[in-house]
Amino acid sequence: MRVGIPGGLLYYRYGRLWNSFLQALGAEVVESGETTRSILNSGASKAENESCLPVKVFYGHVLALKDRVDALFVPRLVSVKRRTHTCPKMLGLPDMARAAAGERVPVISPTIDFQSGLWHNYRAVYSLGRIFTPDPRRIVAAGVTAWREHRLYLERLTLGLDHQGALKGEAERLLCEGRDLRIGVIGHHYNVYDTFTTMSLLERLGSMGVDVMTADMVPEKLRERELRRLPKDIYWSYEQEVAGAILACSRYRLVDGIIFMISFPCGPDSIVRVLCEQENRRMGGVPMLTLVMDEHTGEGGFLTRIEAFVDMLWRRKRRESEELEAVAG
Amino acid sequence: MRIAWPHMGSLEFVLGSVFEELGLDYVLPPPNSQRTLELGARFGPEFACFPLKTTLGNFIEALEAGADTLIMVAGRGPCRFGYYAETQRRILSEAGYEFEMVPLEFEPSRIPLTIKRLKRLKQGRPWASLYRAIKFALHKAHLIDRLEQQALHQRWLDRDKGATTEALKRCYRLVWEAGSYQELARAEEEAFALLCSVPQVEREEIRIGIVGEFYLVLEPYFNLNVEEQLGDLGAYVERNIYLTDWLRPSGERPVLGHHEHASERLAAPYLSHKVGGEGVFSVGDTILFQHLGFDGVVQLMPFTCMPETIAKSILPQVSQHLGIPVLSLVIDELTGMAGVATRLEAFADLARFRRRTCSDQRGLAPQPAF
Repeated sequence: MRVGIPGGLLYYRYGRLWNSFLQALGAEVVESGETTRSILNSGASKAENESCLPVKVFYGHVLALKDRVDALFVPRLVSVKRRTHTCPKMLGLPDMARAAAGERVPVISPTIDFQSGLWHNYRAVYSLGRIFTPDPRRIVAAGVTAWREHRLYLERLTLGLDHQGALKGEAERLLCEGRDLRIGVIGHHYNVYDTFTTMSLLERLGSMGVDVMTADMVPEKLRERELRRLPKDIYWSYEQEVAGAILACSRYRLVDGIIFMISFPCGPDSIVRVLCEQENRRMGGVPMLTLVMDEHTGEGGFLTRIEAFVDMLWRRKRRESEELEAVAG
Repeated sequence: MRIAWPHMGSLEFVLGSVFEELGLDYVLPPPNSQRTLELGARFGPEFACFPLKTTLGNFIEALEAGADTLIMVAGRGPCRFGYYAETQRRILSEAGYEFEMVPLEFEPSRIPLTIKRLKRLKQGRPWASLYRAIKFALHKAHLIDRLEQQALHQRWLDRDKGATTEALKRCYRLVWEAGSYQELARAEEEAFALLCSVPQVEREEIRIGIVGEFYLVLEPYFNLNVEEQLGDLGAYVERNIYLTDWLRPSGERPVLGHHEHASERLAAPYLSHKVGGEGVFSVGDTILFQHLGFDGVVQLMPFTCMPETIAKSILPQVSQHLGIPVLSLVIDELTGMAGVATRLEAFADLARFRRRTCSDQRGLAPQPAF
């Protein structure tokens, strides 16, 4: 059975997990690969105008896969942490995929919900496994291997590899190598690691001689501590990660500047943006650039803003060190 | 302590009645206007959903009118609505207003906190009278909803355009002035008699349902009077949510006459999980309207509303399977009256032609995919 995994949205977090689980079960996995101009265009023309950019990209991946596979694999992640939800678009994603792919291609969509306890999730994964193999031991073993690989992938992200590097397990250079200037590029996985929609921002920053810190590289403890300070807790799982990372970066000066990557028109991000910008100002934190991407974002305008931001940070840095020297001298 | 809350359809009568009963001071923000919208859009985040901006505008106007305590409902998502209160508090306090925001949360773990907040709001009035006031206000809300429903059902038969709307306005006054259950019962009789006395003419019937995000469905100013426009175009209109239905925690919908679960069950083949807000109900109620023999459904959604965007991507499929036309109207601060009016007109015509073709037993032309 050939199963397609569309390479958008949560693929940039669980792609490794899904791929190795399905492969260990004996399925033939087809991935749609990197986002390309034609994928984005076909997605943008099929998806609703009001959808956010990653959903349009996701539609494109679904359309690219649907004629090549026997089934599509789009899990429904309701909640990945207690007392939180994912974004509504992820709750409805399998149904949207079904509407996009048409009736010919079935969509396999186990429901993962950590609010209803571990047993429920075990059942969901187990019944997913039963589609491919009748052997319970094989399902459990596949689950264990896949989970191990997933942990390894996440660990590599925290060590400073980007998505591609973490998938391969090696990279020519790390995002963070201890250079003078460090910028936090914070946003959802699918906004930061998708090289096409971000116009390979991470790589470009690297070649500008700037270190990059992603939300994964901010220690989880600091993120959690920042979240506990908020008067009302954020109830979106991935948004917690983003907000926690930005607030931690600005409070502890982990970086010299923050680039907040948002895709138009992301619902939760529009709210979290208000919160982060205000808290950052109040703390007297670090300079912050909010980049809103959509399918019309032009490379020129995008780059100019990044370059200007980096130049500004360099100038700031130089001035600070001169002042320090003056005080010391 | 001068309390204010944002406008939402007939909510002003309901909450106003509660505070009148208790004898507490409150401020009604000026009616929704272009200025409300401009204020909201100026201070609100760029692509936050439309109701956040409009309610923010209401709050600013209320603060200008002298309010110092703002009430807002809050929750735990997954829709953004649960975070409105906090976001608006941040925006308003940064804009330099002095006030207190009282978010009321109704999920089990937050009930103690909500009780504490209610205690502050009622300012020493006994709980029993608060309970009585709320119960009475809910009765009023239920009556208003039934009157609105009656108006939706009969507006298309009006001999003089706008007569039902005028009568409905007088009905609001009647209900508002009722101070006891006896008076309310009398007001009910009078109001229904008033609505029924509107002169009517014979017309060809078409039925159009309205589904969508509750704020837009309930707030006539911001949905550009879709209900009234459809009624004037000669359509029997029904909407999928009324204030009482929305306020019911049990999911019962006394005005509409079915339970939320019925709608969820109908939506399941297309959208099998709750997506927050009214996403599932928009899909489910569209199917319900089809079963009830409606000729078309208008979906109202605020720009960037997440649950409705999902519903909107699924509705074309529903529409194709069941053969019911669906018009999705996306509304934000730039939506123009003329554009919406034209589309509604065309939609009503389409529904009328479909009904004629169906009654002639002629086959319909195949629907285009999108």
